[in-house]
Amino acid sequence: MAKPLSRSKKIRVLPGFKLTLGFTLFYLGLIVLIPLAAVFWKTSTLTWPQFWHTITMPTAMASYRLTFGASFLAALVNAFFGLIVAWVLVRYEFVGKKLVDALVDLPFALPTAVAGITLAALYSKNGWVGQLLEPLGIKAANTQLGIFIALTFIGLPFIVRTVQPILEDLDPELEEAASSLGANRWQVFWRVILPMLTPALLTGFALAFARALGEYGSVIFIAGNIPMKTQITPVVIMGELDMFDYGKATALAVVMLVVSFVLLLTINVLQWWTNRYNTTSLA
Amino acid sequence: MSVEVKNITKKFGSFTALDNVSLKVESGELVALLGPSGSGKTTLLRTIAGLEFPDNPGEAQVLFYGEDVTQIPASERKAGFAFQHYALFRHMSVFENIAFGLRVRPRSTRPPEADIRARVDKLLKLIQLEPMAKRFPSQLSGGQRQRVALARALAVEPKVLLLDEPFGALDAKVRKELRRWLRQLHDEIHVTTLFVTHDQEEALEVSDRVAILRAGKIEQIGTPEEIYDKPASPFVYDFLGNVNLFSGRVKDGAMVIGGAEFAAPDVAGEPDSEAVAFVRPHDIRVTRQPGGPALTAQVIRSNAAGPVANLELKRLDSGELFAVQLTKELFQELSPKPGEHVFVELKNVRIFGDDYSI
Repeated sequence: MAKPLSRSKKIRVLPGFKLTLGFTLFYLGLIVLIPLAAVFWKTSTLTWPQFWHTITMPTAMASYRLTFGASFLAALVNAFFGLIVAWVLVRYEFVGKKLVDALVDLPFALPTAVAGITLAALYSKNGWVGQLLEPLGIKAANTQLGIFIALTFIGLPFIVRTVQPILEDLDPELEEAASSLGANRWQVFWRVILPMLTPALLTGFALAFARALGEYGSVIFIAGNIPMKTQITPVVIMGELDMFDYGKATALAVVMLVVSFVLLLTINVLQWWTNRYNTTSLA
Repeated sequence: MSVEVKNITKKFGSFTALDNVSLKVESGELVALLGPSGSGKTTLLRTIAGLEFPDNPGEAQVLFYGEDVTQIPASERKAGFAFQHYALFRHMSVFENIAFGLRVRPRSTRPPEADIRARVDKLLKLIQLEPMAKRFPSQLSGGQRQRVALARALAVEPKVLLLDEPFGALDAKVRKELRRWLRQLHDEIHVTTLFVTHDQEEALEVSDRVAILRAGKIEQIGTPEEIYDKPASPFVYDFLGNVNLFSGRVKDGAMVIGGAEFAAPDVAGEPDSEAVAFVRPHDIRVTRQPGGPALTAQVIRSNAAGPVANLELKRLDSGELFAVQLTKELFQELSPKPGEHVFVELKNVRIFGDDYSI
């Protein structure tokens, strides 16, 4: 005889809610929260004045500007060119399309140090690209431009891979409807296609931006790491670690963490806002 | 004045969607393009809209009130198009969806903001969705979405309104409401309209004229009464309703079925031969006392649920099955039991010359 179900127990179609939620929380705690908490804990060995002094020292301030500025710019440029790459990969058929599609993932797969050394070699005074830029008065190696180039390189796949599936699912009837209403190609793109892609673009932008903020390997070789000029925050943190000053290092890390978190949260809110039309509630 | 297509041919690979099709729709007319899937009706509509282009640009022509628009792209044709799945802009409110066609106009012809608002408000009133102006399409029901799509197409004051299976994605009840509403709307605004459907009931109820398509050709075109009462081919006859086939013989210009002779104008004066007669289920009289020539049949099944009663009968001479529709009153009078023998009289017997199998 079947056991009668106890009345207090809610029946769920999908079993295992408690088990999987418990596992998720445990896993996130172990992998993400505990190390992050340790950063804050380690920072607390500093007094408030020490902490404030560390995070506002001129080299740190210059590095924030550079890190956040270059990451933001790189993500922005990637959003633009990544969209074009995704567009070409979805909308057109051409020879070697599969190859181009695979190339997009390369910055994911390449060890960042390899990417850094390669970029440094390419953009140095005698490098293939560097020697072409030299007569134009453009210097990439050991400049902020170099950092921007490295961050653009590693961020590209994020945009392409988030926009591509949305673009593939875009109903061609929407474009036909728009043009039958008198819209020209540019208006169709600007008023119909782009707004539909915006949430995905923002996701890709956030991912590329976050990745660039934490990037280290590919930047250090091309940046030259000159204090106040081409030193990104992770390099400043490494400098402190090299001197076994863990308190200072984690203090800078806390700044990175908090600012990144606030920025990503902002992007999430923005993304929710651009996607607000996707509600199905019949109020 | 009319919207007209001439000699349109369109192929997709080896599949011929349209085979030298010509059609003329008078100004202010509501015409249905009716046909099974793959008959080319949607392709014809899209060709008129400029969303497809004919394969034979030399001979093919699309004319809007005399103006040749064959080579003109959709964005410059001023043909309003509504899709089966609405194709509303998800990221725009109902208001902005309807205003879209006005907002994308070049500055020189774009109406001022106040005029746009007035026009959209008027259309919202017309589609009875004034309180929904600020909603997003995802917050509307299917019927409401299709009305918004219609208003959006009407906002640009199109020369012709093209509707591709406009009610195809809706449930049966909403569909009936909406097609009645479409007819009313058309009587109000008189915009030249073509709409595609595979539902013969819809086509017969709503339109001024119906064009029946089959395999890329127009099989017949006429008013709903004309095509229903005088179908030009067995295909049209079959497509417009249920049909029974009675095999028999043509003899002395009449149709002989199961030993009984029925009047059949189609074969008057024709030589004697084997033939198949087409009879609608509601053109069959079932009696216990023959009042004229009748064949005998056995009752197999009866079902009186719904507005009319349905009988399934078997011819005693050949064993062929056929269906009969009776009014409720006649059914109660007759009260047939399965297994009983009855007399059957046939009216409006049609015989088509060419071979056709259903």
